[in-house]
Amino acid sequence: MQVRDYLLRRLALLPLIMLGVSIVVFTLTRFTGSPVGIYASPNMTPDQVAALEARYLLDEPIPVQYIAWLGGLFRGDFGWSGVSVAPVTDVIWVKIAATLELALAAGAIAIFVGIAIGTIAGVRQNKWPDHSARLFSILGASTPTFWFGLLLLVPFYLWLNWFPLGRATPDIYDSVTHLTGMYTLDALLNANPVAFVDALRHIVLPATVLAFGAMATIVRMMRSSMVETMSEEYVDAARAKGLPESVVVKRHARRNALVPTSTVIGLSFGFLLQGAVAVELIFRWPGLGQWVSSAILAGDQATIMAYVLVTAFIFMTVNLAVDVAYAYLDRRVVLGG
Amino acid sequence: MADSTLLTVEDLSVHFSTSRGTAHAVDRVSFSIEKGETLALVGETGCGKSVTARSILKLVPEPPGRYASGSIRLANPDGSSTDMLAAPMREVRAIRGERISMIFQDPGKALNPALTIGRQLAEVFGEHRLGMILERAGLDPDKARPTARRIAQQRAGATRRRVYSLTNRVTSRALQRSIDEAVMAALADTGIPNTRKIMASYPHELSGGMKQRVMIAQALACDPDLLVADEPTTALDVTIQARILELIHEMQQRRGTAILYITHDLSIVRQFADRVAVMYAGRIVESGRAIDVLTAPQHPYTQGLLAAIPRPGTPRGQLEAIPGSVPQLIDPPAQCHFASRCKWAAPACSAAVPRLLAVRPMHETACFRYESAESVGMPQEDMPARIHHEGATAE
Amino acid sequence: MTALASPRISLPTDPNHRTAAGVRWERRLQLAREVLRNPLTVFGLVIIGFFLLMAAAAPLLTEQNQPDAYQAPRDWSNIDVPPGTDGHVLGTDSTGGDVLYGIIWGSRLSLQLSFTVVFTTLVIGTIVGSIAAMRGGRVDNVLMRIVDIFLAIPELIFALAIAAVLGPSFENIILALASVFWVKYARIVRGEIIRVKQSEYVAAARVVGDSTWNIYRKDVLPNSLTPLMVQATLDMGNVVLIGATLSYLGLAQAGLTEWGAMVSAGQSGLLAGEWWVSTFAGLAIVLWALAFNLVGDGLRDVLDPKMEGR
Repeated sequence: MQVRDYLLRRLALLPLIMLGVSIVVFTLTRFTGSPVGIYASPNMTPDQVAALEARYLLDEPIPVQYIAWLGGLFRGDFGWSGVSVAPVTDVIWVKIAATLELALAAGAIAIFVGIAIGTIAGVRQNKWPDHSARLFSILGASTPTFWFGLLLLVPFYLWLNWFPLGRATPDIYDSVTHLTGMYTLDALLNANPVAFVDALRHIVLPATVLAFGAMATIVRMMRSSMVETMSEEYVDAARAKGLPESVVVKRHARRNALVPTSTVIGLSFGFLLQGAVAVELIFRWPGLGQWVSSAILAGDQATIMAYVLVTAFIFMTVNLAVDVAYAYLDRRVVLGG
Repeated sequence: MADSTLLTVEDLSVHFSTSRGTAHAVDRVSFSIEKGETLALVGETGCGKSVTARSILKLVPEPPGRYASGSIRLANPDGSSTDMLAAPMREVRAIRGERISMIFQDPGKALNPALTIGRQLAEVFGEHRLGMILERAGLDPDKARPTARRIAQQRAGATRRRVYSLTNRVTSRALQRSIDEAVMAALADTGIPNTRKIMASYPHELSGGMKQRVMIAQALACDPDLLVADEPTTALDVTIQARILELIHEMQQRRGTAILYITHDLSIVRQFADRVAVMYAGRIVESGRAIDVLTAPQHPYTQGLLAAIPRPGTPRGQLEAIPGSVPQLIDPPAQCHFASRCKWAAPACSAAVPRLLAVRPMHETACFRYESAESVGMPQEDMPARIHHEGATAE
Repeated sequence: MTALASPRISLPTDPNHRTAAGVRWERRLQLAREVLRNPLTVFGLVIIGFFLLMAAAAPLLTEQNQPDAYQAPRDWSNIDVPPGTDGHVLGTDSTGGDVLYGIIWGSRLSLQLSFTVVFTTLVIGTIVGSIAAMRGGRVDNVLMRIVDIFLAIPELIFALAIAAVLGPSFENIILALASVFWVKYARIVRGEIIRVKQSEYVAAARVVGDSTWNIYRKDVLPNSLTPLMVQATLDMGNVVLIGATLSYLGLAQAGLTEWGAMVSAGQSGLLAGEWWVSTFAGLAIVLWALAFNLVGDGLRDVLDPKMEGR
């Protein structure tokens, strides 16, 4: 079966590509020289610094350093995060959970709204709903998330105070045991409606901002595949059976249009991850993005490296998962020829 | 409208707006279909026969299409009639699949690849035979309506599990069985073996012939008065074609369904059609009993068409082709569209549109060769050489 | 695929070569007419024209600040004044920098950023993609794995890491974006060339004994350019969008008249009710990106309606 072969090949390539990413990331951070600064303190003597360099193999050639660093990664040692004043591995899980929660929430909004808008645009092809959907999605793709975030912050936070910043109200945070690190999920697992509403209130605004930008691709793909399926003969055949137009659109056209649309969802996830950097900064969301932006300002290389590696891994895994889902969804169609 | 007439198409024009102008895909077409008879609409690709077929079910996409003129009236049992083009969408939907249904050219494209055969057939019953389904499930159609209606229609669209969740197990099982039985009966009616397995299959798992059988089963599920068959065998293997045609014929014999065949295959006309209408460039140029048209074609186009068919005994290289090509239908001039390809063409042919005129009993054609200069209103020298027929009606 | 559908067999000694070129020009004119039929595309073109004019006429519109034109002149007597005060049409920021000046000179930076990045990556990507597709085999494999590695990291994040390592400056943002954006082009070019290579007219050229380089230059490359054009147009907007994000995050020099940096500079003012700095700078970014996205979208519709999802 070719589909399975293809997916297995993708799966086999994943560690290889991750290795490549690690090399790229490592070389990049060594560009500016030794990262000893993060470990050294100003009152050390040159000898002490040299000893420190020797301890971290920083006096060895770059490939040796890389092997040592890679070995560390495999042992779960991602180095010392200067901005968090803790080992990277100690803090990274919390950050990943925070960013994933935000990205998934935004992804859910983008997918649902994007599919709805794309469906309407495809059905009403070249009429005003189509044109406005196009303008709306292009506007989404053209608006910088950081600016849109600021723009929403002013009315909804500053004036109305509907949505607070951060991830949770401290008191409510303490009332919940955090199993997953995703607060909405944790609240549900704790069966704590107050905490759930609190988590929702915190996530709505950043997730909306993030979703607006990610929606464009989904709307565009959904629209064009709707246009295609609406002109399929089985749609006419469904009409010829006497089915109402709503059923024809939903059950016959949309269902089939979803299959190609699912392919771009993986790509949109890349947008969600990168958009999260600015959004997290603005909404004080303590995730990977906020972490890395403070690391950039502090020149904290271990954090930057860990961030790029983790993001690449998440992005690739999501894309692989989407491909598997696509292969499953499309199985009937592909194999049917 | 005579008592025996089922469908009357009158003066039907369908236009498509394109970037280059308005295409007159169907141009003032009129014909009628009697109850239980078989009419074949014959013509080349692009002559408007498929658009005509789709118009009957009001399936032409608007826009770019537009029903520019005419009516398509379906006779109701009470003597009244419904104009498919003017009736509210609600009524049109009630007729689709119930009184008029359609078989499409390529069953592989006309079946939804994402739904099982069973679900696609169940949709028809959910739409048109809900009462029957409910009754057979032991429910009172009048009382059970709101939820059960939803359930039965859900069954047609959603998974089995969702059906169960909507009502108690016993009722939904009964409903499920009732729907399955109806579907299997419809499939078995077209000679499909192992119906339970077929019901659970996806279209791609079936052969082309089997898919077309499913389409036929689906089209005839509600015992319609008229079946529109748009080139039902063109996409099939030659070996299967005859069997599918036999099947349609047999179903027609059993149920008394009228059939409108859309085809370019004159052998289908010869075997199955009672009457035939020949279309050229959006207009009907000749119509009559199949035997008359095939043996004594009157219009130059039909004559050319028949001469182009290979027959046993035709020497090699003697097959006749019609010279020229079909004129484009965009903003066509008022003339006989065949004039540019016709060996008898005269100035009159390029100046006016000939009417369909009976030249023999029950045999009409649209050609100036059968008309007098006075009736057309053209100078005699502009008219093509006239042919006199014993049966020509004096007009 | 209308744009690619002309089978053009060009021989080294083809006497009709000139006419073939003429046909190509005619087709381009026809395409241009079709593109201009979409009002949204025209709207995008108008905005682009407006920005180009603004960038070109920057020294005429405002008095150039000395010594660095890309730092807004400081009017220390008018700090954080709203639009319309004392000749500051769009107000000033918290250091007395004129917002209008920033937006006008920022358009030069955006032009420089997007043009440099798109042009260099287009060249690099075309070369890499062409080598991969024309050589095939191991070369192709290695190059494509490298492309895969680059594609595994979302654009902005990669550029962010590079710019962070290089240190905060506008030139480094350009460099960072350039090292990331070539990947897409390499992939598009490779895919297109492989597709075109398999088409009949290339086979025909091969049959008549044309050299590989000639086939590539005359047949393969020109016919692969369509999706590149669309992507490049879209990227003219995307590059500015991502570049602005980087400088918003603090990776450009302080006080630079780059729009993203201006949004960042006006951020605290925005929350204090001084809305004009961030709002106008952000609007400039949106308009810029919107214009190129509209034109790119219109081009895509005309050139290749089935191209999405690439």
